[in-house]
Amino acid sequence: MDNGAHRAAAKDGTEVTSYIIRRLLLAIPTLFGVLVVTFLLLYIAPGDPVQEMVGERADSATIARLRKELRLDEPVLSQFTHYAGGVIRGDLGTSYITRRPILSDVLERFPKTLLLAGTAMLFASITGILIGVLSAQHPGGWFDRISLGGAYLGISFPVYWVGLLLILLFAVTLHWLPPSGYGGIRHLILPALALGTRSVAFLARVTRSAMLDVLNSDFVRTARAKGLSERAVVLKHGLRNALIPVITVLGLDFGYYLTGSILTETIFSWPGLGRYVVNAISRRDLPAIQGSVLFLSVIFVLVNLLTDLAYAKADKRVNL
Amino acid sequence: MSTVAHSRGFRPSRRAILAGLVALSGVAGLSGPVACSGPGVPDRRTLIDSRDNYDPRSLDPALSTDVPTGRAVSYVFDGLTRFTPKAAVVPDLATSWELASDGITYTFHLRNGVRFHDGTSFSASDVRHSWERVLDPATKGGRGWPLYPIRGAQEFAAGKAPSISGLKVVDDSTIEITLTEPFAIFPKMLAMPATAIVPKVTPPDFGEHPIGTGPWKFVAWHHDDYLLFARNTQYHDGAPLADSLEARIIPELSTAEAEFQAGNVDGLQVPAQESPSWESNEETRPLLQSAPSLRLIYGAINTTRGPLRDVRVRQAINLAVDRGMILRRLMGGRGTLAAGVIPPSLDGFNPSLAAYPYDTARARTLLKDAGYPNGIDIELWTSQSEQFPRIAQTIQAYLAQVGIRVKIVQRDASSMREAARNGKTDIALKDWYADYPDAENFLYPLLHSNNRGVGGNVSFFSNATFDSVVSRARREPDDQKRFALYREADSLAHEQAPMLFMFFYTELYAVQPWLKGFTVPSIFTGERWTTAHIERPPKTAPK
Repeated sequence: MDNGAHRAAAKDGTEVTSYIIRRLLLAIPTLFGVLVVTFLLLYIAPGDPVQEMVGERADSATIARLRKELRLDEPVLSQFTHYAGGVIRGDLGTSYITRRPILSDVLERFPKTLLLAGTAMLFASITGILIGVLSAQHPGGWFDRISLGGAYLGISFPVYWVGLLLILLFAVTLHWLPPSGYGGIRHLILPALALGTRSVAFLARVTRSAMLDVLNSDFVRTARAKGLSERAVVLKHGLRNALIPVITVLGLDFGYYLTGSILTETIFSWPGLGRYVVNAISRRDLPAIQGSVLFLSVIFVLVNLLTDLAYAKADKRVNL
Repeated sequence: MSTVAHSRGFRPSRRAILAGLVALSGVAGLSGPVACSGPGVPDRRTLIDSRDNYDPRSLDPALSTDVPTGRAVSYVFDGLTRFTPKAAVVPDLATSWELASDGITYTFHLRNGVRFHDGTSFSASDVRHSWERVLDPATKGGRGWPLYPIRGAQEFAAGKAPSISGLKVVDDSTIEITLTEPFAIFPKMLAMPATAIVPKVTPPDFGEHPIGTGPWKFVAWHHDDYLLFARNTQYHDGAPLADSLEARIIPELSTAEAEFQAGNVDGLQVPAQESPSWESNEETRPLLQSAPSLRLIYGAINTTRGPLRDVRVRQAINLAVDRGMILRRLMGGRGTLAAGVIPPSLDGFNPSLAAYPYDTARARTLLKDAGYPNGIDIELWTSQSEQFPRIAQTIQAYLAQVGIRVKIVQRDASSMREAARNGKTDIALKDWYADYPDAENFLYPLLHSNNRGVGGNVSFFSNATFDSVVSRARREPDDQKRFALYREADSLAHEQAPMLFMFFYTELYAVQPWLKGFTVPSIFTGERWTTAHIERPPKTAPK
């Protein structure tokens, strides 16, 4: 490598770093916005956390005392400053219901959600891209038609329905896999299939149309004309160029994976963050809801950043 | 205590799933919802429960305000008394007690030689410490009321007294409890999870690592996944028969059913709407066991709102709804019609008090007499859990026939509870699950004027005669006289109709054929799995 290339690479490196720093700084107002909106939404939402704490039978003296101790009797601004102050110090607070710190609760569950979402995404990308590429080989052929039909079904089926179907078939009837729960890889297969199904269908369609666009373009014709094997044309020239929209879909889908996992986690008794949030909402556990939403927002910001970086990696024309 | 708050979540109907299955076809063997392929006796030595549908709050008795928490607490801890599966109250850490002639001083004799799971000895001072801890404002438990009958308890809870004046440790095995006024059923409250006995030293993470004297020692808690307990070989009432007990947390009912069919769990609480399919299936019918539960399903009629202030309107509402039909069609017939609030299995139940008949003609007459010949408009609030929305729609249809126009307001349990407690609902469709097995636990919280709003009386019923009968019953030491007062109060409630009396629920469980020594509990902490075990067919010796 000569000196010039070195310098160019170094310049690239600094540009990427400064881009990342810029994006992270921009994330701060976004996250603050999330904090304010969540707080206000919960403030005006009906339901009372203290009544959830005391259960069905209580006395007003206890309720008043708890309300005071949790600062719920203070004006909204003072409640918010107190909460935001904690967040800035890295303290997401303590659950009203369980008395446990929110951050440790979230950190205990998030890896499980990530494992499920990651596996589902891996399954969806491999299967979806493969089907998409194969369908694009012979548009209108039998494989293309079947995969199109399959994709419509896959997109239309709600995740809980697919989930229950998988449980009935593979766990109850065939006894191949456990119906639910968290454990080894055997526990992971069914929920990952359920969560990934919709995405397989979507990715297959996106890959197919992107591939068709690319395969009909001039440079592919040139590649074929210069005698490259079909395999090289499809994988090296076709797929690589078709990946841009696929990455976009994957990036957007990641959000779906994290939130779609609420249903999947419920159906498969998977102890992830989705169920934690649902439980927190039904019990009006305000710090737990706020903490989880904030945490998920941080993850979204990071995923968006990674998606944009991946664009640049896949397509040199993209400027950061 | 209500079971509505956290029902199992998303539930596509079984029929929808089946229809889909048929449509897809080709899936052999899925001919019915409970197509059991008959799993063999499992090779595990752990009992597995499937009833919890959300993670307990904590395993600290002081935070025990919901069902999964109370159930787990009842495994690890003991109270001075405890409930049997059939909801009788028997001695536990106390061996006996007597009431002095003043009617308010109890002397509890405690069991000797009991040790906590960490080896420390249990003594009378643990009782005092445990109860102070429940009431201590710093605990932020919110479940102090079972101890409020003790003299000085409320002052202590309010931070106005350094100790509970009504508690006196006489010696290591005797504690004297003085109440503010006679309250004959007090020993029953001491079987509630919130009043269970904890050791003197409770580390800050006690709720995660509980230490009690109960039949099961805490082993592990994987949040939202399962709780694991091991048998306490030193348990004072005889060690549990099984090695360990796992309480799985399964939010979705269909999943719990699948786990049961796969043989992975030993027992399953079958909800009302599913019971017909379990009962009609040849393979599953023999697995079913039922027990009357201390749970009332009712519509709380707010007696302070508009036309509902008039007793004739409230009676008309009761007459206009065919509850028998709802019970059969929507609840699988699992229950008995309610005439008042006292369940048939409790003392004080009056068998001769008949439920309101379905009589639309009389309902119309009563409405006309009350001055509403053109009917009235009301809001009926319901949560989304179980069959409640469908019951609400059916009630709406019945009431329309007598000119009562109902608008259904469907909210999540938390919002609905808040609205009902704040008096913003006309009728709130809900349930009430007894905390302790006594008629008082229905009459007093649900209808006494002391408990209007947060106390449980969301009918805001305030009737001086009723109040005085119930208050007298609470103070009455003689059982028979007290039961008579209960009957009197229940008749008054029936007549005043501060609620749309629906039904008392009958619990239905599916129990694996290999699970022996398990009894379907009438109260949620009644079955502690001490005699439960997996029975294996005798092994044939290899030849």
